[in-house]
Amino acid sequence: MTRTIGLDIESRPECIELLSGALYGMCQPVLPAAEIAKINLAMVEAVNNAVEHAYHGEPGHPVRVELELAPDRLGLRVQDHGQPMPPGRLEAAAAFVEPDPEDPETWSMRGRGLFIIRSCMDTVEYEARDGVNTLSMSRLLATGESA
Amino acid sequence: MILTHRNIEGIDIVSLAGRLVMADVPEVRQKLLVTVEQGSGKLILDLAEVGFMDSSGLSVLVSVFKAARAKSGDVALLHLSPTVRSLIELTRLQQVFPIFDDEAAALARLR
Repeated sequence: MTRTIGLDIESRPECIELLSGALYGMCQPVLPAAEIAKINLAMVEAVNNAVEHAYHGEPGHPVRVELELAPDRLGLRVQDHGQPMPPGRLEAAAAFVEPDPEDPETWSMRGRGLFIIRSCMDTVEYEARDGVNTLSMSRLLATGESA
Repeated sequence: MILTHRNIEGIDIVSLAGRLVMADVPEVRQKLLVTVEQGSGKLILDLAEVGFMDSSGLSVLVSVFKAARAKSGDVALLHLSPTVRSLIELTRLQQVFPIFDDEAAALARLR
């Protein structure tokens, strides 16, 4: 059985926790805690990006999150109507800067959100079309849904 | 977000709790930077009760670490939950932050 849920929040950091509650409610009965934690981290980072970069931290804009839990994979989509991500940004996130204890310049977390998303999910795709920006992610599940 | 603040032999020990995420960042960053500024710059962050952190939470730790280093101090992380530890390892920040499971060992490092 595939279960889906769609959630709409306002672009405020305080609202993001609500999404985590829904994700855990959907996945907790069927997925291991470590698996849910990775998906939750990817979701929070993706929504953070929408709030912080697409809407420049401005509240009052819509962010939509769709979750699709199938027996063998979890699909996650985050949509906003803000400023699109510059071309190539997602691909550039793969180039990880190794933190050097002696070089504070390498400690920055800027841009690490996309790296984290790519590390937590198996596929990550971005599309900006007709004023809607969509980050689509999926993760293959080690443990199938038993319900 | 900040549960307790103790000082042992000039070393500040701050315990955080809950989620360290974008919504909490301005308040926590400001409080921790004030702690570093007003103290010796030697700080232990006890994260035992922090169940979730995102990259903006990590950016707070980095800011505080930079501020501490700027006054010849140091920051040690104590009691990481599995979720927080896995985020720190994912971003390889264990190469920057000293991490301890034992407060006495963290204090010995910062003395």
